[in-house]
Amino acid sequence: MTTVPQTSLSLRRPERLALNAGLVIFVALYAAIAFLQPNYLELGLFMNFLRRAAPLVILACGQLYVILTGGFDLSMGAVATLVVLAASILINGDPDTTWAVIGALYAMGIAVGLVNGLVVTFLKVPSIITTLGTMLLVNGLALAWSGGAARGDLPDNFRNLGRLVWRDVPVIGTLPLAAVVLAGFVALVWFGLNGTVYGKRALAVGDNPRAAELAGTPVAATRILAFVVSAVSAVTAGILIGGFSGVSVNAGEGLELQAIAACVIGGAQLLGGRGSIWSAVFGALSLFALFTLLNLLGLPQALRDSIQGLILIAAVGASTWRIRRRT
Amino acid sequence: MTAVPSLSMTGISKAFPGVRALDGVDFECLPGEVHAICGENGAGKSTLMKILGGSYRPDAGTIHLAGKTVQFTHPRQAAEAGIATIHQELSLLPHRTVADNIFMGREIARHGILDKAAMRERAAALLDRIGAQIDPQALVSSLSIALQQLVEIAKALLLDARILVMDEPTAALDERDSRTLLNLVDGLRGEGVSIVYISHRMPEVTAIADRITILKDGQKIWTRPRDAAPISEIVRAMVGRDLKDFYPSPPASAPGEVLVAITGGTNSGLQDITFDVRAGEIVGVAGLEDSGKGALAQALVGDVPFTGGTVALRGRSIDLRTPRQATAAGIGYLPGDRKREGLALRQSVRDNALLTLRSMTGIFTRPQRGALASAVIDERLRAMDVRAANFGQEIGTLSGGNQQKAIIVRWLAQASDILVFVEPTRGIDIAAKAAIYDTMRRFADAGRGIVVISSDMPELIGIADRVLVMHQGRLSGAVPRGASEEDIMHLALGLAEARHEESGA
Repeated sequence: MTTVPQTSLSLRRPERLALNAGLVIFVALYAAIAFLQPNYLELGLFMNFLRRAAPLVILACGQLYVILTGGFDLSMGAVATLVVLAASILINGDPDTTWAVIGALYAMGIAVGLVNGLVVTFLKVPSIITTLGTMLLVNGLALAWSGGAARGDLPDNFRNLGRLVWRDVPVIGTLPLAAVVLAGFVALVWFGLNGTVYGKRALAVGDNPRAAELAGTPVAATRILAFVVSAVSAVTAGILIGGFSGVSVNAGEGLELQAIAACVIGGAQLLGGRGSIWSAVFGALSLFALFTLLNLLGLPQALRDSIQGLILIAAVGASTWRIRRRT
Repeated sequence: MTAVPSLSMTGISKAFPGVRALDGVDFECLPGEVHAICGENGAGKSTLMKILGGSYRPDAGTIHLAGKTVQFTHPRQAAEAGIATIHQELSLLPHRTVADNIFMGREIARHGILDKAAMRERAAALLDRIGAQIDPQALVSSLSIALQQLVEIAKALLLDARILVMDEPTAALDERDSRTLLNLVDGLRGEGVSIVYISHRMPEVTAIADRITILKDGQKIWTRPRDAAPISEIVRAMVGRDLKDFYPSPPASAPGEVLVAITGGTNSGLQDITFDVRAGEIVGVAGLEDSGKGALAQALVGDVPFTGGTVALRGRSIDLRTPRQATAAGIGYLPGDRKREGLALRQSVRDNALLTLRSMTGIFTRPQRGALASAVIDERLRAMDVRAANFGQEIGTLSGGNQQKAIIVRWLAQASDILVFVEPTRGIDIAAKAAIYDTMRRFADAGRGIVVISSDMPELIGIADRVLVMHQGRLSGAVPRGASEEDIMHLALGLAEARHEESGA
């Protein structure tokens, strides 16, 4: 009773901290980039940075949905690879079919998300195992379908989604289409979490599924929807990746782990119950800024993975330490 | 008794930022004495025991064990000094055997290899000493809470504890198991063990304690021998008011229409359950731990549904297959294990209170619309007198009483017709208890119904308009308001099945 005022102060802090952690790290890293390459301060280059970061940010937003509900989605990268390969095979050089194919890609993604969600909720297989399974499954199917090598090319109208940059836009100068897609997608997922009751349900399910169920929450539906959103974001990211990197059999490799790392860096708590869409957005931007910085510093590509590993451990360690400190 | 106290704590003070948890408290316990500590939640009982157990260091004061000054910096030192604490929340590993748990961290080894046979034997001897019929080879998860508690005690005895701290040991036990435990405490006292006994259950305290100490707001109010401390005095010292205002007065009018009628309800744990709940009525359910009273609550809220029989709500037959269906039908559940089943601990007080409303509305509902608005729920929380500095703070930081009130607000907001309470005041201090009873009464008086399942008999007798008693998955009878504990016990033990068969309906 009398302990209330004392705890409440220290409690509110981590929440604000979690919201800002990603933003603070991002600003610091981007400042370091700008120090090495002052022209990164130009709006044009910043827009270009956003364009290249867009797939990771989108993936992180989808991953966040699953993390909030207490799970992981390891199948995102495989879905992105599938999207790139399937697009080139299905479009097969005919630009008229692009939009129909994009619809088909989303259908495939939603199917994968549904499978993940149904297996996790009804067969009670832990999500990390379920999505590891679908990751292998989807990757294998994609490779088998494409014959193990990149086939065909993507038409310009598909690639523009990731590649097109409008020049001479009033006020901001250049505007990549990918940045518009990014903004639209973030607005949508933000609305899903903050503009509807879904977000709070997801947090409650991630925090204590049993209590949520007994309070009447549709736990299964909440979880399944999270996997579907995650898969949809993987398709979206895959389309952008196909746009600016072209067709490759390892287009999506490792992206799922980057997305998880991004959410954690931004302050989302693994196993659910804490985090916001800004954790995903700024966490992903931070991670991408870090990659850019390492490039500028001339570090070999391989070290990227090692550093990402370190950051992931540090971020989770820091968040548990923060939680432990206040109890 | 001229013996040197086996434990004496003098002038113990401890402050946390913003709170003076303990202020110069003296406490002692003689060999072979049961010394009870009573006080509301937040009175400082736990802090005092954590200092004794080495989890906290006191700001001031000294601890003597059998006359020698000690200073603990780690719980392990306290354990080695012969202090064992049995917590309300058990610390056993569920998937290991009883013997494994008793010897956890102190395994007997021969040439570096575990001597399982020796451990089994010692475990069996220890369990035998406390009169527990438990197979040392059984998995802990297969034991009831009551038996697990006995395993904890056996574990403490392995260390040859001279001082045993029991923090609400009977909170999770029903009447029969509580009696067994009290007999055990009595036996340990006979062996010269000093027992510090913390409990909210007054009859228990006055039955077992040699001396009683009252803490309030971090200060000692008094220490008296049992004979000089009637329950009324204890309660007055703890809360500063009399016991008679404790339970709300019975309703003025007779119960109204039938709200819910269960006919022949059956599942794996229940047989032929038939009863109804009328508007304005609080129906109590009593029974021993394995009587099926918990299963009845789970069936009523669709958690472990009835597989046979019918449930009718206001005369209309309904399905209760999932908690969501029960919620939609207007049945709300307030589980006994709030932390595990009632609360999303890392979410705010407000979010927890809104959980059901948000779950039952359409998914595209705007979060701040109508009853979902913060201002509206805050008003409800204030009306229920939920004490929090800020309703945006995590609910895990609130006291048990305030958490329970927030869950009540959750179901009031949903406008539920029937509330199913399980152990409504377990681990809740006396002042909050009275407030919760009062809320229950007002809820019923507004033409709605309550089913309250409890192991706390005085509570059932005080709050319920009639008490259904369960025995081996069946209703063995019902007693009206004003019945005695003996009447209920009789039915709960299955001694009067034939005589009361008809009164369940």
